[in-house]
Amino acid sequence: MAPLLELRNITKQFPGVLADDRVSLTVEAGQIHALLGENGAGKSTLMHILYGLYRADAGEILLEGQPLQLHSPADAIAHGIGMIHQDFMLIPRFSVVENVVIGLQEGGPQLDLRSAAVRLSDLARQYGLAVDPEARVEHLSVGVQQRVEILKLLYRHARLLILDEPTGVLTPQETEGLFAVLRRLAAQGHAVLLITHKLHEVIDVADQVTVLRDGRVIGSLPARQSSARQLARMMVGREVTLRVDKPAQQTGPPLLQITDLRVRGDNGQPKVRGVTLTVHGGEILGLAGVDGNGQSELAEALMGLRPVEAGQVTLAKKDLTRHSPAARRASHLGYIPADRRQVGSIGPLSIAYNAVLGTLRRYTTWGGLFLNQGQIDRHARHLVNEFDVRTPSIHFEAGKLSGGNLQKVVLGRELLARPTALVVEQPTRGLDVGATEYVHRQLLAERSRGAALLLISAELEEILALSDRIAVLYQGEIMGVLTAGTQDPNSQIELLGLMMAGSPLASLSNLHTPGRSDGPHG
Amino acid sequence: MAKSHWIERRLQPTDSLLATATVTLAAIVLALLLGGLLMLPFTPHPGQAYWAIVENAFGSLRGLGFTLVKATPLILIALGTIVAWRTSFFYLGFEGTLLLGAAATVWVALRAAPQEGLAGLPGWIFFPLVIGAAFAAGGLWAGAVGFLRSRFGGNEVLVSLMTNYVAILLVNYLVSGPLRAPGDLPQTERIPETTLLPFFIPDTRAHAGFLLALLAALLVWLFLRRTPLGYELIATGFSERAARYGGIPTSQRLVLAAFLAGGLGALAGLVEVLGVQFRLMDGIAQGTGFVGVVVALLGKLNPLGSVVAAILYAGMGVGSEVLQRRAGLPSSVIFIVQSLIVLLILAGDLLRYYRFTWPFRTGRLTATARPRE
Ligand SMILES: Nc1ncnc2c1ncn2[C@@H]1O[C@H](COP(=O)(O)OP(=O)(O)O)[C@@H](O)[C@H]1O
Ligand SMILES: [Mg+2]
Repeated sequence: MAPLLELRNITKQFPGVLADDRVSLTVEAGQIHALLGENGAGKSTLMHILYGLYRADAGEILLEGQPLQLHSPADAIAHGIGMIHQDFMLIPRFSVVENVVIGLQEGGPQLDLRSAAVRLSDLARQYGLAVDPEARVEHLSVGVQQRVEILKLLYRHARLLILDEPTGVLTPQETEGLFAVLRRLAAQGHAVLLITHKLHEVIDVADQVTVLRDGRVIGSLPARQSSARQLARMMVGREVTLRVDKPAQQTGPPLLQITDLRVRGDNGQPKVRGVTLTVHGGEILGLAGVDGNGQSELAEALMGLRPVEAGQVTLAKKDLTRHSPAARRASHLGYIPADRRQVGSIGPLSIAYNAVLGTLRRYTTWGGLFLNQGQIDRHARHLVNEFDVRTPSIHFEAGKLSGGNLQKVVLGRELLARPTALVVEQPTRGLDVGATEYVHRQLLAERSRGAALLLISAELEEILALSDRIAVLYQGEIMGVLTAGTQDPNSQIELLGLMMAGSPLASLSNLHTPGRSDGPHG
Repeated sequence: MAKSHWIERRLQPTDSLLATATVTLAAIVLALLLGGLLMLPFTPHPGQAYWAIVENAFGSLRGLGFTLVKATPLILIALGTIVAWRTSFFYLGFEGTLLLGAAATVWVALRAAPQEGLAGLPGWIFFPLVIGAAFAAGGLWAGAVGFLRSRFGGNEVLVSLMTNYVAILLVNYLVSGPLRAPGDLPQTERIPETTLLPFFIPDTRAHAGFLLALLAALLVWLFLRRTPLGYELIATGFSERAARYGGIPTSQRLVLAAFLAGGLGALAGLVEVLGVQFRLMDGIAQGTGFVGVVVALLGKLNPLGSVVAAILYAGMGVGSEVLQRRAGLPSSVIFIVQSLIVLLILAGDLLRYYRFTWPFRTGRLTATARPRE
């Protein structure tokens, strides 16, 4: 019998980039197939072609042996191909069942929500996707919203489900839950295409893995026969160290102290609700938590970019709570924001001008009247050399750099200012393995230098690899602080997962009670 | 085929020089062709009419003088626009700042009449003084809008448009009340001879205000390119969040940009009064404050580009006026051509977001993959 899906020699050329180069891929019914590759490898482009968003320059798509031409996502879903994007496409104010039937034409203009809800409940039972059809989507946790997306596809009779980086927004327990669902889907004859750059996920859940590099298929092999090391090598094209060496180190005095900090979000709702943390010199304090639990608001308040409602921020005993961002910078507080393109840099300006963002006044002549162009350029050249920024020139537009290179500019700029304390937010989001490795090494070097680092990251692996202590933020409150490496890794991850889902550490004193598999949310 | 696949949206607009030049040139040619059609009822030779415009505007010293006189306020308004818009402060109140500048200028200049307080002041004191006064008047006028925006948010476009009406009424009040000269007309006294700007090309109307505008263009260019304050304005304009992150007090910078923009816009009023009108009366702005914004956009918000754009734009106006007088060709035709050029250049900008491919480049696909019915 022909396989469910076969891609043959799919090629897509963008100007200057061959995004996909004769990519062939076979997915069997009942299979979880992982598509692994670094950023820019061509994964999304390939999936967009399969979903009818782009058209391939060459190559063919065969569904059960039949050639297929897709013109739109509607076409794709009509053929049983469904895709879940990284950002969910649900309407928050609608109920689950409304979201599921929206856009469907069946049964004429009059929506029969009741029978839809019945069918939905049947599907949910069949696949173990517990969801209340009448619940409003805005009240559901991210993990449950993801189930709604899956149900939406199943309701449309999808046989092939494409998931683009689905675990980025989930707690470890939610991730486990998702994988269980995927296994059940496969067991019932569906095929799953899982796009990811996380090696352990591939090994955990996939049957088959295809590795893509620079638009080309490097290899396809059964996941069970692969190792993380081998996959990493295939993905990057060279040996990579998966573990960072974190030298043991004496921590210094408390440098960054946050006391009962309260901050409001953009809509005026409390987002940081009484956070107290202390970061010592030579220490990395990891702040874990699912995105959107107040991490950004906390970081912005620390840098003076968002008003503090109550509480105190001190740096080396100096009260900075009411200081301007410029004054905080002058006191050697550094900040690497999550959004390196909109906040951390000014895209249309050159690398040179970005290199002096925040320290501009040091590069002037004539009593501060004019810019000292020569000095700016020298500083930028120093940064580019020191931090290995790959660019044709320091006058190149910063916004045109790749994510990894732009992050090196931001990182380099902040580190060259020799911060006493550094707030680092999602430093490797969207970066490839090589750049991630680099950023991690630089952060550890700062730690060795004696700076106090507050590392905010939604990637638990990153937190675990770098932190000396780990705090968990949930809905603006600290659930607890663990010292890294004092328990065995698995129970530590479980503990962190439970805290990320809203259980305070104090309530989890009995470590080895089997955690509720899916903590309540919101 | 369900969709045409030979146009694809780009992630980023192309900004190659070639693409920009092509689009600009195509816009101008297309506008001239369309304008040519409109001319046909009046003249069988649109090409000659265009040529006559160029000759009238630039072919003689006299014509060139007129052109430079018309270009001068446009340059100054454009410079104000550049400072404001590059800071992402989309100010449209330049009619108002021009009038405020004109009013302040006339007030100071009238003080220099015999028997008045400033009588006998030497030029090297008087001119800096009057320039400072006009700049401050317009600066405060626009700066207030900037302050409102930075303090309370809101939309500076609407607010600044409304301030134009206030300024028009204010001038109306001044010339019919406090500053009205004896006589039938609502206007002020003529300002004294000693306060007029000298002509700088003999036997033409070109006055030193043009040199002032050139100097201002140079200073604005220097300011934006070479000073920390200029950098901070531009950084604020590109990304307020990033600028704040970089320690730049963006609210203050916004107010500064508004002040400078208003001041530059007021100088347009100053040169009109000291170089052309010699008194304050109703209707001296007449849209200059808006055309100047257009000129700035045509000059890609670049000071030197705007000087060129202002001279060309003014030249078309001057040339077409002469044509109307001599050949009966309505100057509205030329105004339409001017507007079309602007419109097409700005619309052409959108084309840079698309990529065009020829159908045969995707031919292989249709050859190998047949649609499934
Ligand atoms: N619409 C597009 N226009 C031009 N280049 C693109 C476009 N989409 C993707 N690319 C380029 O194609 C390559 C592959 O990108 P993508 O498929 O998004 O990679 P991945 O999803 O594996 O990270 C990258 O170099 C990217 O910059
Ligand atoms: Mg992608």
